[in-house]
Amino acid sequence: MRKWRSSAAYKIAFLNFGAYAAGLAVLGVIVFVVMHIAFTRQLDSMVSDEAQTLVDEYHSGGDGELAEAIIVREASSSPTHMMYGVYAPDGRRIHGSFPAARPSLGLQQIAFRDDSEGPDKARARVVDLSPGERLVVAVDSDWLETIERIIIIIFSIAFIGACLLGFAGSVFLGSYLRRRLYSISHSAQAIIGGDIRKRMPVGPHRDEFDELAATLNRMLDRIEGLLENLRQVSSDIAHDLRTPLARLRNRLERGASGDASAAVEEAISQVDDVLSLFAAILRIAEVEAGETRRFFRIVDLSALATELAESFAPSVEEQKRTLLWSVEPGISVTGDRELLAQAFVNLLENAQRHTPEGSVIRLTLVVAGRSACLSVRDNGPGVPTGDLPRITKRFARVESNRGTPGYGLGLSLADAVAKLHKGRLTLRNEKPGFSATVELPRNPDSSVEGRTRGN
Amino acid sequence: MRILVAEDDTDTAEFIQRGLGELGHNVMLAADGLDAMHLITAEQIDLAILDRMLPRLDGLSIVRRARAAGIEMPVLILTALGRIEDRVGGLEAGADDYLVKPFAFSELAARVNALARRKPLQSETTRLEQRGVVMDLLKRQVSRDGVALTLQPREFRILEELMREEGKVVTRTMLLERVWNYHFDPQTNIVDTHISRLRSKLNEGGKPDLIETIRGVGYRMATDA
Repeated sequence: MRKWRSSAAYKIAFLNFGAYAAGLAVLGVIVFVVMHIAFTRQLDSMVSDEAQTLVDEYHSGGDGELAEAIIVREASSSPTHMMYGVYAPDGRRIHGSFPAARPSLGLQQIAFRDDSEGPDKARARVVDLSPGERLVVAVDSDWLETIERIIIIIFSIAFIGACLLGFAGSVFLGSYLRRRLYSISHSAQAIIGGDIRKRMPVGPHRDEFDELAATLNRMLDRIEGLLENLRQVSSDIAHDLRTPLARLRNRLERGASGDASAAVEEAISQVDDVLSLFAAILRIAEVEAGETRRFFRIVDLSALATELAESFAPSVEEQKRTLLWSVEPGISVTGDRELLAQAFVNLLENAQRHTPEGSVIRLTLVVAGRSACLSVRDNGPGVPTGDLPRITKRFARVESNRGTPGYGLGLSLADAVAKLHKGRLTLRNEKPGFSATVELPRNPDSSVEGRTRGN
Repeated sequence: MRILVAEDDTDTAEFIQRGLGELGHNVMLAADGLDAMHLITAEQIDLAILDRMLPRLDGLSIVRRARAAGIEMPVLILTALGRIEDRVGGLEAGADDYLVKPFAFSELAARVNALARRKPLQSETTRLEQRGVVMDLLKRQVSRDGVALTLQPREFRILEELMREEGKVVTRTMLLERVWNYHFDPQTNIVDTHISRLRSKLNEGGKPDLIETIRGVGYRMATDA
């Protein structure tokens, strides 16, 4: 288990919680301050009104009336307990019983001495009635303090409660995130440990974690496929190279004892075979890596197909087979002309190699929706159904064809080239015959002017 | 011809040197890119054969620098991998031809000959004539001894290449590259079938064969006997 401090999941959860608590605290403080100001204003307006009433009283009835009014008020037991005092310039209190010294003018907070509670505070309004007399009207701010104390207590309880809840939520969230992440990292550990088939658990929620797990799984599938491919290729190379090399060795051995120049010539052609095998393997690897896409140009597929058919028809004829072609004009794709040519040549040669004499091979190029379909179809014996899915694999050969030349790389390259162009190669038994179709995404019609050639 | 061979593999370098020496060329060797660059700028060189991967300075950079310095000699690039990137990159850098290793020496020799002659032919030729065969490259017409021949476009191109090289060997690979623009080797020998058709058209009526086959290498126009 990792320490909490280093866990991103917990960090995120607690950071969230901290922000929430801080927000709550700021809110509390603002509410408190606003409330305090509002209550204080209310007290201030109470004492101001009262002071104004007494001032009016003084002006209408003089000092006697004022004294009387103060006595009456002090005697009554109103809930808001107001205190009064009238002071002479020398500080002596003339009327009222406010237990404090002569204050300065204005609205203010005054400290006084309460008989029952000791030192206390009050909000007071101080006005001058005449140059000689100064009136103080004060109200004990006790109840305000009480209300404020209660609010603080209530808020604190609520705050602590919310924090506890938030904390619990954070712990839960943190452990949830950690658990989800941990299951992914746990699977990754298993894969590192060698269990290459292990996959990330994908939950039913379709959330980000499930999506991540599914994406990782797709990536792992791809990597596993590539690894498998690599393993297959290396063992195949090792296997398929043994045969020509062994033959080469025999030739050379025979040459050493007999007719050297003939043996050397044969050996050279043997080595050329091995070299062309390597060239094919490297070309497939290059195509599969996909880096050559940056050399893509617009390719006039119709022209290419026609040219291919015209170029190959004579040699097909020499092999006692017939090549017929029909090419729809004006079809173009974006791609590598050379690779496409090589792929199509491979399909043609494949058809030629695996059909008996007298067979007819048809090459057609047509538009099918947004695709260009080039297909090479023969009327030969076809391919055993069981072998169909695997003959595009490198070095894969139909068992009965072991005797014919070739290393089983032709269709593999055609497949890789089709994929490089975001298309696909489809192989089908046509009963009779066999067809190989390369489907490629084609360019919009206008990109190449229609050109017709061929038969 | 003074030929510079820049190749860091001594076996290959000596193999090329010996072969070209036997053909009467004067071969200088450079084992790394900077040496090669130095020789190119200091010496009068008629043709350079550069390995693509060289220590210190790679073949393509040498071509680029040489071209930037206004040195116009023909350059042949050797590459270990026939990658598309190498082909495109080499020609874009200003090389005139490239050859994938391993190669047959006859192939290299044919290309060296072709490159050496390329310069004067770059002026727009519109008419080729050898031993009674006349090609009008503008009108795309061919005749032999005044008799017009009907050739397919690719047969015409093959004949044009052979005539341009005037009795020098043109290899199968060169024909594949120049006529078909294929830089791969199809198993089917389309070059041979086209040559045999071309030959039968040219020789119609029992005329002497003008296309000479060099076994295992290629073809050439028969020179005046």
